[in-house]
Amino acid sequence: MRPGLILSWALIVLVALWALVPGVFTGYDPIAGIPAEKLRAPGPGHLFGTDAVGRDLFARVVHGAVNSLSGAFVAVAVGLVLGTLLGLVAGSVRGALDEIVMRVVDVLLSVPGLLLALTVIILLGPGTVNVAVAVGVGSVASFARLARSEVVRVRRTDYVEAAFGSGGRFAAVLWRHVLPNSLVPVVALAALQFGVAILAISTLGFLGYGAEPPTPEWGLLISEGRNYLATAWWLTTLPGTVVVAVVLAASRISRSIGREDG
Amino acid sequence: MSSSAPRPVLASLAVAAATCLLSACGGGGTAPAAGAAAAGKPVYGGTLTYLEHQAPTCLYLPAAGFYPNGGVLNQLTDKLTWQNPETLKIEPWIATSWEVNEDATRYTFHLRDGVTFSDGTPLDADAVAANFDVYGKGDPKLKLPVAEFVNNYERSEVVDKNTVRFHFSKPSPGFLQGTSVIGAGLVSKKTISLPYEEQCQLKNVVGSGPFTVAKQVVDKEIDLAARKDYDWAPKSSGHQGRAYLDQIKIIVTPEDNVRVGALTSGQADYVRYVQAYDEQTVKDAGFAIYAEPTRGVNNGLYLRPANSILKDVRVRRALQKGTNAKEVVDTLFTPSYPVATSVLSHLAQGYVDLSKELAYDPGAAAKLLDEAGWVKGADGVREKDGVKLQLGVFVSGPQPLSKQTLELVGQQWAKLGVKLEIRPADAGTQAVDIKNAEKTAIAHSMVGRADQDVIKSHFHTKNRDVILSNDAKLDRLLEEESALPDEAARNAKVAEIQRYVVDQAYAIPLFEEPQVYGVAPNVHGVAFEAVARPSFYSVWKS
Repeated sequence: MRPGLILSWALIVLVALWALVPGVFTGYDPIAGIPAEKLRAPGPGHLFGTDAVGRDLFARVVHGAVNSLSGAFVAVAVGLVLGTLLGLVAGSVRGALDEIVMRVVDVLLSVPGLLLALTVIILLGPGTVNVAVAVGVGSVASFARLARSEVVRVRRTDYVEAAFGSGGRFAAVLWRHVLPNSLVPVVALAALQFGVAILAISTLGFLGYGAEPPTPEWGLLISEGRNYLATAWWLTTLPGTVVVAVVLAASRISRSIGREDG
Repeated sequence: MSSSAPRPVLASLAVAAATCLLSACGGGGTAPAAGAAAAGKPVYGGTLTYLEHQAPTCLYLPAAGFYPNGGVLNQLTDKLTWQNPETLKIEPWIATSWEVNEDATRYTFHLRDGVTFSDGTPLDADAVAANFDVYGKGDPKLKLPVAEFVNNYERSEVVDKNTVRFHFSKPSPGFLQGTSVIGAGLVSKKTISLPYEEQCQLKNVVGSGPFTVAKQVVDKEIDLAARKDYDWAPKSSGHQGRAYLDQIKIIVTPEDNVRVGALTSGQADYVRYVQAYDEQTVKDAGFAIYAEPTRGVNNGLYLRPANSILKDVRVRRALQKGTNAKEVVDTLFTPSYPVATSVLSHLAQGYVDLSKELAYDPGAAAKLLDEAGWVKGADGVREKDGVKLQLGVFVSGPQPLSKQTLELVGQQWAKLGVKLEIRPADAGTQAVDIKNAEKTAIAHSMVGRADQDVIKSHFHTKNRDVILSNDAKLDRLLEEESALPDEAARNAKVAEIQRYVVDQAYAIPLFEEPQVYGVAPNVHGVAFEAVARPSFYSVWKS
């Protein structure tokens, strides 16, 4: 493994730990601040400084991880499951069904992801889970297309034909032979999509569709801080840096999946 | 105007200023003095760039209370009377004189001769009567609502070309001041006879003011041009004749940083809504800050008694006692935002100091909640019969730092075991839920107007009805107030209403909301109407 990859994994593990056991990393309350200690610059007492209401920013980033990460997980899961299923069915059944599913996917791919997510949000209403579902729905199309192309390739291989020839039922063959052998690129895409989802969820949070204030959420933190950019740079810059680092790490890990040299 | 000679000087100054900004050098505090020295005699001409925080909405005159609307309409329309912002006295404008009968049921106005609307039609008794018939009675056919500044209106009577008389079914002492407010701007007979949707559009608003609309890009920019034949400013105005400026560019700039940055870098001359945290930046750059009082119902949280939790007065009182307004102001705001000492601003008519009743007392608050049967659950939030003590509120777009304010109040309430559910302002659900006391238990708002009737505008079920009141007594008190012809008796009634509202804990006043403007040092003649909407008539640039 290369150092960049090790660093990426280390970062993802660290952020995952933030989400699981935030109390280990910070003793401050992310929601209740001390008004007298407002807008302190980053320093030993407050690693990331404090915001306008006197809340510790590092605590808000750490506690916000659970919202942003679980959102990204849900989004990727929605995209992965629905997309792979559609791709699998379309790629193995072929014919009219394949045509219909793939044309719908084409249409979905032609709509910008954020716009699609916003449309879904307006239908579902704002909220952490809804935002995750909306972002997930936006990624179904890319998963479906990738999964289908793999399935079409694997479907033609000798061992799949042999499995059918030896009397295997359609669903069983798909499950035991086609699906496992088509998954590697899909998993790589899932890792990449994880970073994209964090970014998309942060974007929607920034626009005010995500978690309710005062719940910390990364996009919301960036959004809240931007008015203080001239007077308190850390409010936007530090949460922004965290998001950038996590997205880069996810993309680096995605690149390594399915490649021998990492 | 001037020759080309000073240009190099100006350019080098601009470069110096830019370098100064980039290197964040100090000593900017000397700039206003230099500006004042260079002021001298007013000059005609030039374009003023004015940055507005929000886009104007519906421009039907009685809806002009929203500040972005008022900022435009104040330049386009004149009013019958002018309220002097310093003395709050009503002075002549389009009406040169007036008579009011003993019990304030009959008002006669004598109009100035020769005033015209910008479409050339005369501003005469006929036009004034047509305006107030709509403002006073509304027009269901055209979907025009009644204006909140006219009470007990019966009918108008055109006595002669320049004399108009208004009749009221009950005493209406607030009417004289009502003719001076932003919503009472006079528009041409053609405009006032249009249906609501059309009066909402800027292109249909034809007034007699010092400026006319030259160009509009909806939600982005409005260009105003000076009216060359304007010659009917209020008598007491130092400046007469046409406006000094040739043109005003009103540009909608929602991002706070951008507004302040544009001002300090010289791209804009005048900006509305300088946030509390930016005031120092603007001052340090040598620009002027105008924090204008709005003299009305204070910025605060208004509790809705129709809500199933808030119907218990003990809960409302507990929330009132458990809110530390001083901490909100000290943490988020500046001395431009005085801590509220009553429902009304200390500059409002009929104000009474209730700071003792509004004192922060978390101990008493907790006791009240205990008495009301709300017990702390495992998560620290109080419960009663399986219902959590959780109250919804929307972030209020027009209020400064509404979200931060609510978060801080939520933090204070969390200590009491009350959960404040803060919903973002731009959610699609707001339009539906805001009028639902169950989902939106609390409203964060304020209203400005320099008359006793302001409290009625805020609380009466037929006006803004901020608390979705179900309290007949409150309505009755407000109606009594608006029909008292005697000034002292009216003020006493306003005091009684404030006491009642605070005692019933319908209100948690936080601070007296100002309108904060940032103005470049080369802009002179800055003026505001009585509730802080800018008037560009006498503004000039050196």
